[in-house]
Amino acid sequence: MVAGLKAHDKSFLDYLYDHYSGALYSVIFRVVRDEGVAQEVLQDAFLKIWNKIDAYDTTKGKLFTWMLNVTRNLAVDRTRSKEIQKVKKTDDIDLLVNRIDRQEQTESQVDAIGLNEMLNRLPEEQRFVIDHLYLKGFTQSELAEEFNIPLGTVKTRTRLGLNELRKILKG
Amino acid sequence: MNISEYISSGILEAYAIGGLSDAERADVEKNMTQYPEIRAELSAIEEAQEMLLQKLAINPPASVKTKLMHSVGPRGKAVALNAFVQWKFVAAASIFLAMFLGFLAYDYRDRWLHTQVALNDLMAQNQQVAQDYQRVNVRLDKMENDLRIVNDPSFTKVVMRGTANAPQSLASVYWNKESKEVYLSIQSMRELTQEKQYQLWAIIDGKPVDAGVFDGNVSGLIHMKEIAQGAVTFAVTIEARGGTPSPTLETMQVAGVVSKG
Repeated sequence: MVAGLKAHDKSFLDYLYDHYSGALYSVIFRVVRDEGVAQEVLQDAFLKIWNKIDAYDTTKGKLFTWMLNVTRNLAVDRTRSKEIQKVKKTDDIDLLVNRIDRQEQTESQVDAIGLNEMLNRLPEEQRFVIDHLYLKGFTQSELAEEFNIPLGTVKTRTRLGLNELRKILKG
Repeated sequence: MNISEYISSGILEAYAIGGLSDAERADVEKNMTQYPEIRAELSAIEEAQEMLLQKLAINPPASVKTKLMHSVGPRGKAVALNAFVQWKFVAAASIFLAMFLGFLAYDYRDRWLHTQVALNDLMAQNQQVAQDYQRVNVRLDKMENDLRIVNDPSFTKVVMRGTANAPQSLASVYWNKESKEVYLSIQSMRELTQEKQYQLWAIIDGKPVDAGVFDGNVSGLIHMKEIAQGAVTFAVTIEARGGTPSPTLETMQVAGVVSKG
């Protein structure tokens, strides 16, 4: 798989896109909060993944993690260049995502409901952190700064939250 | 190193989210190679995160994929390499194009100027030819007219030979007694200064009658004043420019008698 990518076989790009564009687009959109910008960033991200695939090292983690970080950095860079107000971040992301979900696909509604149920099973503190990191597009440092939580606490709560979700997801 | 403490700090989640500094990340990667437990835990975290993110997935519009696949060249290497290289290429191409267009503009302006000069030359030449043609035409007309007069039997030719004042001089008069027309033809008469002119006289009943003035360097027939019947002699004197009412006989240059008949 990675070897195919590194050989720049176009069908692997096709495969990658079909499997990960949704997850990555969601991450980007939650950070930049603009469909047009998010689409640009998504295209840039896949081009970068395609061109920089040689920089990916299998010993350092999964391919998706690497792609996620490449993508997320591009998205965060874009918000910096666009001076998107961080204050607004907490406001309307759920509405935006719901609107897009309704436009693009109905089945993810089911997932979203399932996800909400899952999140509701987390303790409040963990849910808050997971919600902001994965649904509202915050970085850990932004979260720490914005809500005056020590970064170490943000990290342990992320761990606990993800741990809980792992258990739930595994059923 | 206490591995469970290390894991429970949440640093691996931070690693998976991409929230670490370069130094912290390098540290995690080093620890991963040393401790299989850390590597295994990271894998579990990555899996959970991926599952979570896949649940949150939003499908992008199909146009993004179409554009992406188009911008990746047929051999696989993306055409849009990186923005800087692309920018440099575009800048270089622009400069080259600007220089090329500049050269073309200069070259064409140069050619245009040359063409303009050549055109002006040709127009001047053309005008010259037209003038020459016109002049030749006028001369030809005049010569045809002269020839008609010379050959016309109603004109009497009077040859005026040089006097003692100018033995080399020679001129002729063509006189039509009926129409009173008089033409003069110079065969050989010296040129005069600007102040002087030749004056033709007809002697009628022993008296000189003015027949007009002329210059010494004219070719072809010169149309003179009309002379009525009765002239027996024609003669030419040198007078002040414009002529005089009575001739200065001492300056007589040529003279000829009208033959009877």
